[in-house]
Amino acid sequence: MTATNLPELTVQPSATLGKQLQLFVLPIATTALLFGFALVDSRVVSPGNLINILQQTSYLSVFAVAQTIVLITRGLDLALGPTVSMVSVGAALAMTQFLDPSTTSISILLVGLLIGVGLGWLVGLFNGFVVAILRVNPFIATLGSYNIALGIATTLSGGRPVQNVPDVFTNVFYSGSFLGVPAAILFAVVIWVGLHLMLNRTIFGRSLYLIGTNVRAASVAGIPTRRVLMLAYLLCSSLSAIGALMLTARTGSGEPNLGGSLSLQALAAALVGGVSLTGGTGSVGAALLGSVFVTILSNGMNLVQLNGNIQLIVLGTIVIFGVTLDQYRTRHK
Amino acid sequence: MNVVAHRNYTSAIAVGRATMDVGIVPLLLLVVVAAMALVEPHFYSTGNILNMVRSASFLAVVACGQALVLIAGGFDLSVGAVIALASVLAAKTMAWIGVAYPDEPGLAIAAGVLAAMASGAGVGLVNGFCVAKLRISGFVATIGTMSVTLGIALILTNGIPVYGLPGSFVQQFGRATWLGLPSTIYAALGAIALLVFVQRRTLLGRYIHAIGGNPEAAIVSGVSVFRYQTSTYVLSGVFAALTGLLLTAQVGSGQASLGGDRMMLQSIAAAVIGGVSLRGGVGRLEIVTLASLFLTVLTNALNLLRIDSRLQPVLLGVILVVAVALDELSRRNSALDSHEPT
Repeated sequence: MTATNLPELTVQPSATLGKQLQLFVLPIATTALLFGFALVDSRVVSPGNLINILQQTSYLSVFAVAQTIVLITRGLDLALGPTVSMVSVGAALAMTQFLDPSTTSISILLVGLLIGVGLGWLVGLFNGFVVAILRVNPFIATLGSYNIALGIATTLSGGRPVQNVPDVFTNVFYSGSFLGVPAAILFAVVIWVGLHLMLNRTIFGRSLYLIGTNVRAASVAGIPTRRVLMLAYLLCSSLSAIGALMLTARTGSGEPNLGGSLSLQALAAALVGGVSLTGGTGSVGAALLGSVFVTILSNGMNLVQLNGNIQLIVLGTIVIFGVTLDQYRTRHK
Repeated sequence: MNVVAHRNYTSAIAVGRATMDVGIVPLLLLVVVAAMALVEPHFYSTGNILNMVRSASFLAVVACGQALVLIAGGFDLSVGAVIALASVLAAKTMAWIGVAYPDEPGLAIAAGVLAAMASGAGVGLVNGFCVAKLRISGFVATIGTMSVTLGIALILTNGIPVYGLPGSFVQQFGRATWLGLPSTIYAALGAIALLVFVQRRTLLGRYIHAIGGNPEAAIVSGVSVFRYQTSTYVLSGVFAALTGLLLTAQVGSGQASLGGDRMMLQSIAAAVIGGVSLRGGVGRLEIVTLASLFLTVLTNALNLLRIDSRLQPVLLGVILVVAVALDELSRRNSALDSHEPT
């Protein structure tokens, strides 16, 4: 039962200079960025804004770690954003339109959760089936489900936000707190820890890495590659669904545009954090660092009132720069 | 007896190969066109047909450029943003020179066209540099340049359309019909014919296929991957810029909202439905052009049948996945038939 009884299975490579650099470059860059913004506007490092950054990070990080799971298998999920929109609209509609007012708060919550996560599962099953069984390239498979989920989200909602999400839902997923920790941060931390353990301590988690590195080797080694891949996409979409419920609670309505650019933002956060598109590498920590960096960047640019169009240019440059750096690191390891 | 049977067998394979080469796109196109004949007579009005062919030519030009990049094993997500930037730059340049030299609309048009093409080539060069020199995956590199390019287009316009195009550019080119067909069709057909020629008959075309089919073999054979991979991105950028010009001429103003994600996704969808493999090395631009026509005709048919435009992406998504899954299946089966190692 105790961790100390486990035999040491992995050989720790000695930390080379390159490896250490890899561990510190992004945190240093993030800190430098934070203080750089603070020089321009001291409000950036005010306690209120720091908490704000933490909250914003917790949303983005949930999507970034979801994206990381499929990135590890050498896949990607373009449909993440539209899934978020669809879940938001679907769950809000279920809670507001199809329940009579006398329903108890527990069952309202249950309905919202079930419909929301259920819709996420549908997308995950579709993606997993098309990628793992039909062997369609993940880009095309999830581009397909991108369109499908987007169409469903706008059709269900008629293009308008679904108002009057019940208070009990907003309380649990947004405004509530436990031991003084806001709900969003709490949910995010549980997801980080759970996924970290899953990726490092379970056979499923390790299989993801092997599949991403070499599918043939994985199947020769007896890993049920199709099933594991299916599960990876299912997990990614379920996490996106939970993130979508958190975002819905924050806005207080089901929004057909909620997911907008989230697919690419989550991808950018993971890639900047050092998760590779070529599969086999990536961790919760990397996705988390990337999310913190992207959040501080956009929060700071907003506070110093940088033109939104210039922000687009900066984000694009940062993505290219971050990935070039990663490329350089892996080649010189 | 055996010989005859064997001949039949090989000819059956040849027929199978031929249908595989061309794919199911012509068939799908025929089905939609035939079905619409039964359901909706307006589909066949001259106005509607011209309209469809015009929209298809916008998409086909971008999709063929995109297809070249895909055949070389890359990805170009920046095409939508290039359309926006090219439109804005062309309109700004034309308006500016139009004010400076009001009597020379030809000069204004030439400068505008040049500015648009240069912007497309510029973005293509940056993409090529990132992919071939910095070794970033084409997907990430072009996400980055997409964001940057769109940002520049938006800063230049603040989201407001740019007016002041020379009247002749809009009236005698963009909205004109030559010999009964919209002028854009001639421009698109000319551009696509040029690309088909490049793909089939030039060294560049050969090398693009070689690089996409097996990059290591190409490098070992002494092919300059940097030069030819970059060429595909430059061509894709220039062709996206051409679409930006055609759209600007039709709309009559330069707009940063032209192109966008929708055009980018549709160009990839058209290429892939047209049989271009995302693994590189495989694809024919004629079929990609047909696939662009198919997607446009399908959208038009759905509109005429009054199917909610919000539901239309669902259908596009399903068709995309089904087309690629069928392609994948047929390839696996044919690989089994001919005992080729996969």
